Amino acid sequence: MPRERRFIGTVITAAIFIAMEVAALNMMSRSSELQRSWVGSISQGFSAVFWGTGQKIGGYFSLEKQNRALAEENFLLRQKLLESEITEDAPAKVIKGFEYTPAEIVKMSRNRQHNYIILSKGYDDGIKEKSAIITSDGAIGIIDAVSAHFSYAYSFQNSEISISARLGKEGAVGPMVWDGHSSDGAVLREIPLQYRYSPGDTVYTSGYSAIFPPDIPLGVAQDAKIINGSTNEIRIKLFRNFTALRYVTIAHNTSLDEMEEFER
Amino acid sequence: MRRRQFILTWIILLVVQMFLCNYFQFTPIVTLSILPAMILCLPLSVGTVPALFIAFGAGFTVDFLADGVIGLNVFALVAVAALRRPILRLVFGTELFSRGEDITIRRNGLLPVSIAIVFAELVFFILYTIADGAGTRTFLFNFGRVMLSTLTSFILCLVAADTLLGENNRL
Repeated sequence: MPRERRFIGTVITAAIFIAMEVAALNMMSRSSELQRSWVGSISQGFSAVFWGTGQKIGGYFSLEKQNRALAEENFLLRQKLLESEITEDAPAKVIKGFEYTPAEIVKMSRNRQHNYIILSKGYDDGIKEKSAIITSDGAIGIIDAVSAHFSYAYSFQNSEISISARLGKEGAVGPMVWDGHSSDGAVLREIPLQYRYSPGDTVYTSGYSAIFPPDIPLGVAQDAKIINGSTNEIRIKLFRNFTALRYVTIAHNTSLDEMEEFER
Repeated sequence: MRRRQFILTWIILLVVQMFLCNYFQFTPIVTLSILPAMILCLPLSVGTVPALFIAFGAGFTVDFLADGVIGLNVFALVAVAALRRPILRLVFGTELFSRGEDITIRRNGLLPVSIAIVFAELVFFILYTIADGAGTRTFLFNFGRVMLSTLTSFILCLVAADTLLGENNRL
């Protein structure tokens, strides 16, 4: 009780002190033109700091909402882009065949050799198995099973997953796998020795896979080593760091069933 | 009787301060003021809130009756009143408050009282100089003004403190 009283007393004293100082500043600003501009600049600076801080705090708490809105907008823009590309001279059968749905990662493992991802969308949202999980700058995984409201996917950080990737837009194609330990590292295998590349070349999805759409930038090539004297194995630094991942897009090839049926 | 004598002495010193403001401003770089010492030497029984009101009233009176910007002394003196107890606690320790005895130069010594006065003066003149300059003066000028004003006013403050803290004036 005495502590509470002391605290209240301190608050009251501080309030009276501030009120008196404000009154003194007010008197000064009314008494002299010089002091008026000085007090004006102080009050402007103070209100700028006060409102700026308030806005920052408000912005921080609305980040999640903004992220959702951006993910939705991203999805809509991707759909629009898709439509515009169909009407132009792009190969319609490749681009047209993918259906995009935004989703949020609700669970993801990162510290195993067989990592997985659980997404917030299921078959009620039109999600199907063997769909790709992508972002604008990376391939994240492949959906393996779906429930009504969730999807279970193999993460790219899974030693069993490989993605068909291409060095540059028109370069050699090979399977790209996780390097097994880092959150932004991969290895591009089976690149023929005769194919010349430069460290820093961008790696894209090849489009040879029926799961991933083509030309999604994945990362940049780094150093290489020769395997069995016949192929290069190139180390890739991924654009997308898996430690900072939350909103993704699910891409489903609408012709997948037909393609699989045809392959049989 | 002693209370009345203290109040009377305090009011006389306030009038002296008005004279200092009106007739003893020889140079813009030196300001003479005994107001910080007058606030510092208020009895310990006077709490911070009453001291704030006393400082506000005294500062306003001096501002109103002397030439200068109204509110300037109020602005600086209210801060001294707010920091009066922390300054006393810093210089004399917490024992002073637990004993409940007022400070006197004879009992507490000239040096501690002088140090407390200098602290109070520094608070007063720093705020006074900044507000009076209103951002138009250089740091060097303001620094020089604070130092010179503190030094020159110190003697006057010491005399004022001795007058207020004398044994005859204790409440």
